[in-house]
Amino acid sequence: MSIEHANATDPDEPNGPTDASETADAGGEGDASDLDGEDLVLGYPNASEPVIDGESIAAEPGAVTALVGPNGSGKSTLLKGLATQLEPADGSVLVDGRDVHAMDTKALARKLGLLSQESTSPNSITVEDLVYHGRYPHRGFFERTTDDDARAVDRAIDLSGCGHLRDREVGSLSGGQKQLAWIAMVLAQDTDVLLLDEPTTFLDMHHQMEVMEIIETLRDESDVTVVVVLHDIEQAARLADRMVALTDGEIRARGAPEEIVTEELLAEVFRVDAEVVATERGPRVTPIRARHEESE
Amino acid sequence: MSNERSAAGEGAARRAPEGRIGWLFDPTLVSVALASVAVVVAGGLVQVSFGAYSMTVGEAWRAVLDPAVLLDPRWLLNFLVGEGLMRSLTGFQGELPELAHGTLIVWNIRLPRVFVAAIVGMNLGISGAIFQAVTRNELASPFILGVSSGAGLMILLTLVVFGSLSAFLPLIAALGGAVAFLIVYAIAWKNGTSPVRLVLAGVIVGTVFGSLQTGLFFFADDIGVVQSAIQWTTGSLTGTDWAQVRMALPWTIVAVVLSLVGSRQLNLLLLGEQTAKSLGMSIETVRFALSGVAVLAAAASIAVAGIVSFVGLIVPHMVRNLVGSDYKRVIVGCLFVGPALMVAADVGARLGMSVITGADSQIPVGIVTGLVGGPYFLYLMRKQQNMGEL
Repeated sequence: MSIEHANATDPDEPNGPTDASETADAGGEGDASDLDGEDLVLGYPNASEPVIDGESIAAEPGAVTALVGPNGSGKSTLLKGLATQLEPADGSVLVDGRDVHAMDTKALARKLGLLSQESTSPNSITVEDLVYHGRYPHRGFFERTTDDDARAVDRAIDLSGCGHLRDREVGSLSGGQKQLAWIAMVLAQDTDVLLLDEPTTFLDMHHQMEVMEIIETLRDESDVTVVVVLHDIEQAARLADRMVALTDGEIRARGAPEEIVTEELLAEVFRVDAEVVATERGPRVTPIRARHEESE
Repeated sequence: MSNERSAAGEGAARRAPEGRIGWLFDPTLVSVALASVAVVVAGGLVQVSFGAYSMTVGEAWRAVLDPAVLLDPRWLLNFLVGEGLMRSLTGFQGELPELAHGTLIVWNIRLPRVFVAAIVGMNLGISGAIFQAVTRNELASPFILGVSSGAGLMILLTLVVFGSLSAFLPLIAALGGAVAFLIVYAIAWKNGTSPVRLVLAGVIVGTVFGSLQTGLFFFADDIGVVQSAIQWTTGSLTGTDWAQVRMALPWTIVAVVLSLVGSRQLNLLLLGEQTAKSLGMSIETVRFALSGVAVLAAAASIAVAGIVSFVGLIVPHMVRNLVGSDYKRVIVGCLFVGPALMVAADVGARLGMSVITGADSQIPVGIVTGLVGGPYFLYLMRKQQNMGEL
């Protein structure tokens, strides 16, 4: 599939739940932000070969774009590149047409938020204090917290459903509760673009659904452009308006979930034989067996 | 999920009335501060009462609170800013009024030493707290990034090789520490730094400078020079007076203000580099600036007391265990606990030997801080499950 195809997003394409796509469409023409990675070459300082070698990606404004792919396919690397955690060796990342590396770091952090895969914090910090850290890019060097900050924090805590954890110490939370607290922190950042790196990995089913619902709420009720790396392809198909599939640092396919989650693509990208059945809640994938080199 | 969400509204806007200084009135923080002040006052009283010219506690109190000094701005300024500046500030040209013998001893000799101890404790406390956050390493001390080895080497060089410069020893030592820190930073820098690289570079520079320093001892031909070098490199408050207070106080104020201002950045650094970066912090700039503040504080303490070990390591630990990991509170706590530890240790350093052996000699305060701090650290380690967890 070509880059041209991906950039020529057709907003009228029927995808996902109907009300959601309407919101997304409205966002696409309205206030939602664009996030574009152009000809990105991304690698790590100690490796000679770049992980991503000249790929372009455009996140649909106001919609959810899911990056999927097997382990080591470069999806997290691509997300880190978009989040400017990794400096691209070549190419550029544009938010609303502006190069992120030319932007002031705090101005960028007001536009673009990132939830990393692993986050560390002091154990004795309360959830509320952690969420307040999300307001950092909105505060001047000497400024105290304002009513705006308090409102954003309340909204973030409300949206992420961790109001009952507000005064708990982060160290005393379970993995799933911690993740909700961290999501609240990123939401308090109040950005137009939100990048989430495997937000559901390692969580139990309840918390996975919590996280999914938060993202759905974001898509339905706001103009936030979301790019999310997901391990679970069913989850990705259910959640995303658009999917991008990677293998070996290359983008193999992109499009609506129904186009991406097919038996052929699963065989090619994930190297599994699987059965895909379309259901009301998106495609159901039943992996049958791993494909080995000789079986190809 | 729905009931969880509705629960969120209750805590709404609770933060607003707290304001800019509301966090200061945290009960634990206040009790830590009060307890520390009590220790400083008690230690200070012991220090001013005992010595070659002994007084009762009552006499010592009267000397400290002597209205001839406290109510005379000329005397106060004379001590705090020096005689020359006092005269130009007040326009006073005559002789200062006579003071009682006890008052003179207390105000000229014993009290300034207590002040210097408090200042050194403060500096080492905040310096250690900053370094522990910057390197995200709970074993970091003010001297982790080569500061002590740089200062130590310059002390030895000055005493042994460039004897004529020994009048500038405090300045040279502080400068040596700062330069060593810059060298460490330069070594660690490779498209930015990381806590691990910084600590490793600090260890490397420390080893090399430490060897050079030990080597220089062989060239010292005079036992007096060696003793003086040991005093400087282990940290001592012997013979400190108002000149030391005047030297360290301005830098201390600068360092304290800057570290309080930087406490929010420190809190963010504790969330890890990635998070700090994604929240828009220019992480390299902040890290270097905060390290600079910590080095300034450490250098101020080196200039007046030499290299006092252990205080900068242990004070932030004690404070964190008491008030939690919020750096605003940690820094404020260090401003109280540091002086308490230092003043108490100096009581032992100044009077300990005469109590134990009857000999009228003093030991470097750095030896006492090591002797007291080590076992306390051990106690903390055995007691806490998560040692001073950052």
